[in-house]
Amino acid sequence: MIRQALRANPWAFLGPAATQALAAALVTTGLCLVASFDGARLGDSDVADIGLIFTISSVYLAVLIVGVTMGTAIAGQARDIALTRTVGATPGRVRRAIAAQAVLVALPATAFGIPLGLLAGQAWLHGLAGSGVVPAGVAFRVHGGTVPIAYAVTVGTSLLGAMAAAIRPSRLRPAVALTEAAVPRRGTGRVRTPLGLLLVAGGVALAVVISDLDAATADQAGLFVMLAMCVGTGLLGPVLLRAAALVARRLGPIGTLAADSVTAHARSLSGALVPLTLAVAFAAFTIVRGTTVAHVTGVATPSADRWLEYSGTGAYTAFAAIAAVNTLLTVMHARRRDLAVMRLAGGTRGRTLAVVVCEALIVTSTALAAGAVVAATTLLPLLHTALGTWRPWLPVSWLVAGVTAAAALVFAGMVAPAAAGLRRPPIEVAG
Amino acid sequence: MDFVISLDAVSRRYPRGVCALRDVSLDVPAGQFAAVMGATGSGKSTLLHCAAGLDRPTGGRVRLAGQDITRMREARLTRLRRDRAGFVFQSYNLLSELTVRQNVALPVRLGGPRARTVDEVLGQVGLGGLGERPVGELSGGQRQRVAVARALVTAPAVIFADEPTGALDPATGSQILGLLRTAADRDGVTVLMVTHDPAAAAWSDRLVLLREGAVADDRAAPGAAEIAERLRGVSAVAA
Repeated sequence: MIRQALRANPWAFLGPAATQALAAALVTTGLCLVASFDGARLGDSDVADIGLIFTISSVYLAVLIVGVTMGTAIAGQARDIALTRTVGATPGRVRRAIAAQAVLVALPATAFGIPLGLLAGQAWLHGLAGSGVVPAGVAFRVHGGTVPIAYAVTVGTSLLGAMAAAIRPSRLRPAVALTEAAVPRRGTGRVRTPLGLLLVAGGVALAVVISDLDAATADQAGLFVMLAMCVGTGLLGPVLLRAAALVARRLGPIGTLAADSVTAHARSLSGALVPLTLAVAFAAFTIVRGTTVAHVTGVATPSADRWLEYSGTGAYTAFAAIAAVNTLLTVMHARRRDLAVMRLAGGTRGRTLAVVVCEALIVTSTALAAGAVVAATTLLPLLHTALGTWRPWLPVSWLVAGVTAAAALVFAGMVAPAAAGLRRPPIEVAG
Repeated sequence: MDFVISLDAVSRRYPRGVCALRDVSLDVPAGQFAAVMGATGSGKSTLLHCAAGLDRPTGGRVRLAGQDITRMREARLTRLRRDRAGFVFQSYNLLSELTVRQNVALPVRLGGPRARTVDEVLGQVGLGGLGERPVGELSGGQRQRVAVARALVTAPAVIFADEPTGALDPATGSQILGLLRTAADRDGVTVLMVTHDPAAAAWSDRLVLLREGAVADDRAAPGAAEIAERLRGVSAVAA
């Protein structure tokens, strides 16, 4: 019965399923690169490590992003969970049902992702050989542990995300759970916000320390700066969105409405803000490093190295971007009725959509700002130690392209579904 | 022409041949509180939706606040509704994550006339001091008061109420009906209310009974007991 309640809206799990399929694909690609390089006995060269680094980064990303999308999907079911609690399900049974659901989503998603990863791995290896990074003779091999490892990663992260999101609704007393399902908690985050601040402060402090060290050490420690900053800004997501909403209030009544809405939905929107920030930070870090090095030294990075770096970052960025759009679609799906209510209260289609556009702008600018801060904190010390400069360099056209891409993602996840939903008569939706 | 709501031979036929309204004509003058009753499926909600421009009739003409809305474009119709009409629904239709004040200010922020202040209408519906509470934390009766306040904030010509007491107990329900009655008497607001509760209809000036999509009876509203009696007569024939 609990499972039926959770299954009532299968679309809610489309987001987690998509990110899990991608996570499985990325892990598969990484493992196949490891196997292929091992098979070719490339020895100690840097190239041999690429597969391993890619695999580990993929697992790390999967934990973050699958966890976030799964959490959003479960949070959207808080009301169903509360209902099953009222009709007598114990907290333990609710948790078991959610765990079963998480596994049930992960299994087919992974089965879909593995072949995708094999194709991507083959294409990537072909590209690497074509650009001369690896000898042309390196054959594509499938890692023996691909299937069990891919399943372990997706099922593990899916369970982790679902259980973390389910702790609270499953523990609450049923009456409280029903009320809370109607009104999301406000003003909490007594642990989340300080922890986020601590991680961001730690990341900045580490960045300051390593900017006086030698280039090689700084390069290695840079990863930890990135990690601390990513997780820290992720935890600060709701606070950042509320702060950005304050600015939107100056934009007249539509801006005020959008700001109220973002403030009320800050927690669920931050589920999209986290992967968006990651995507912006990854892309900005890699691209700005490349352009600055070329600008300062006057020497372009060898095309082979550039190809390698950009294709890896491209894969991560795409993964994070898809997760962000998924989460936004989930959030907007849950808000169809709200938009119909706004129409009934006298909002024309145009004005109602303008509110959503304004919300999308708040989310986009928050993600761009947070991503830029993460990228800058990670990159500036590396630039200083390696090149002796604090000034990053990026052509304006690239900056414009990046901002446009981020805005396009958010609009695809928020404005497009809202526009589609607004075509239906509001009285049909709200009832 | 000083009818606030005017339906002239309105029909509403659904694609698969179901006919919800047949040639219904109804004129409601300014300041009148009219109740529409009928059995489930008699077309009373469809009547309200067509009168309010939330649904389009397949035949006949509808005028709202002096304007022919039968073939009015959607954006213009929405603006007319926003500026001249208020709504109260059985399911409240509020934004439960937002506060009471934010909900009441909604029509104004969406471009409606700032006819009355939020504090003034909150005081009128007895919710002064609750402005900063999220709507989701309120009781059903309080939520419906928020909906009435939201309907009143633009000083509309007409309030459409669709089963406003359907989810409330009799005592709480009569408080809401009292608010609608006051709006009609004191502010001259026209009220068109759909209900299945004879006690609710007893608050009105005029009772329209629908049977199978047609007007079966249309007279000054009597007391609740007689309304129940008339309703039984109409429903028995329908069944």
